[in-house]
Amino acid sequence: MSRLFFREALGRAMAEEMDRDPRVILLGQDIAAHGGSYAETRGLFERFGPSRVRNTPVAEAATVGLAAGAAAAGLRPLAFITYLDFVMLGLDALVNYAAKLRFKSAGQLTAPMVVKATAGAKGQGPTHAQSLEPWLMNVPGLTVLAPSTAGDAYGLLKTALRAPGPVVFVDHKKLFPRGGEVPDKEELIPVGSAAVRREGRHLTLVSHSYMSVLALEAAEMLAAEGIEAEVIDLRSLWPIDWETLAASARRTGHALFVEEGQVVCGVGAELAFGLRERVPNLRVDRLGARRAPVAPSPVLEAFTIPDAQGIARSARRLLAKATQEEGDR
Amino acid sequence: MIRGLVIPKELGEAIEVRLLQWYKAEGDHVAADEALLEFETDKAIVLVTAKQAGALRRCFFAAGDWMKPGDVAAWLSDEPDEPLPAERSAPAEALLVTFDTT
Repeated sequence: MSRLFFREALGRAMAEEMDRDPRVILLGQDIAAHGGSYAETRGLFERFGPSRVRNTPVAEAATVGLAAGAAAAGLRPLAFITYLDFVMLGLDALVNYAAKLRFKSAGQLTAPMVVKATAGAKGQGPTHAQSLEPWLMNVPGLTVLAPSTAGDAYGLLKTALRAPGPVVFVDHKKLFPRGGEVPDKEELIPVGSAAVRREGRHLTLVSHSYMSVLALEAAEMLAAEGIEAEVIDLRSLWPIDWETLAASARRTGHALFVEEGQVVCGVGAELAFGLRERVPNLRVDRLGARRAPVAPSPVLEAFTIPDAQGIARSARRLLAKATQEEGDR
Repeated sequence: MIRGLVIPKELGEAIEVRLLQWYKAEGDHVAADEALLEFETDKAIVLVTAKQAGALRRCFFAAGDWMKPGDVAAWLSDEPDEPLPAERSAPAEALLVTFDTT
């Protein structure tokens, strides 16, 4: 294992996959000589040249459209969309063209492309800080991956660049200032595989991306009070690793779903429904953003989205409610 | 007086940084305005320059090591033979430095 910055883990995955497969190309704003908005493509332009590392204009619809067409024609493009919010502009090409291509052509055509976009609130205000992952989970034909560590970013991006169809790779602004352990030998993480970050027997905390970092902090706080939370990092939002989730939920009997975005039709709503089908007596709750856009004021931003204290509070409430209901019976 | 070379907390959102290189070795005299070390955040390379003279006595990190803002990276002393504290956690006056970011 080596400790790398999050951006370096992404850079290593891209370099290895570009070495391995000449069809992998990169498209995005400022990714060539500048080295990427987060310095994640630093050195790739110099190494692989302008035909494989291409700057695009500030035109996300065109960038995603270009990627979808190039993918259908036989390349493996990785399109960088600086903020997940801007994927909205490319949704037609992504949803109507890339995600449906395999279905519409009875498997004769595919669009093996990756859209990499950065989600999350970190002072950018209402239109540059959203977590819209559930919109993408809703689309048949899309794979949605969201790492929370440098090691997973490496393993999942490599998997994405070999996937048979379109993948949206969602990272988070607050993951970039961190380092993390990355395997020295090549290692891929399969789609649909969640990670148990911490074991516990009282409740299961389920989250993804930066919220997994906060869920682990919340689990520390809860442990100090004698509550043992099992923390599951989804890593793959579609497909979902129902097996790992259900095994944990059966053991703990309680599941709290935490996401940074809206809870209405959110990740937690889908997971709670799916898990209740598999674990009938499971007690569930969910925590996400308040029903308002992410505010540009740091105070209001912090008020809008979950923090570790809020996660711990929701976990205590879920357990207390269960205890009370058992007492009433 | 023993002075601590403190990794600045005023580095924006940096949570961890990586030491790239020392410009001085243990035992070296450091003049004011001489470069001491260089480290890397997720976004930038930061050069740390001493603003007061002293002797570099002990480096707690080597090139490639990860540090956190607020960590004491080294001890310097005003006189080259002043005795050092036994414990690494001993409080030390912060060395005056400047930071240049590229």
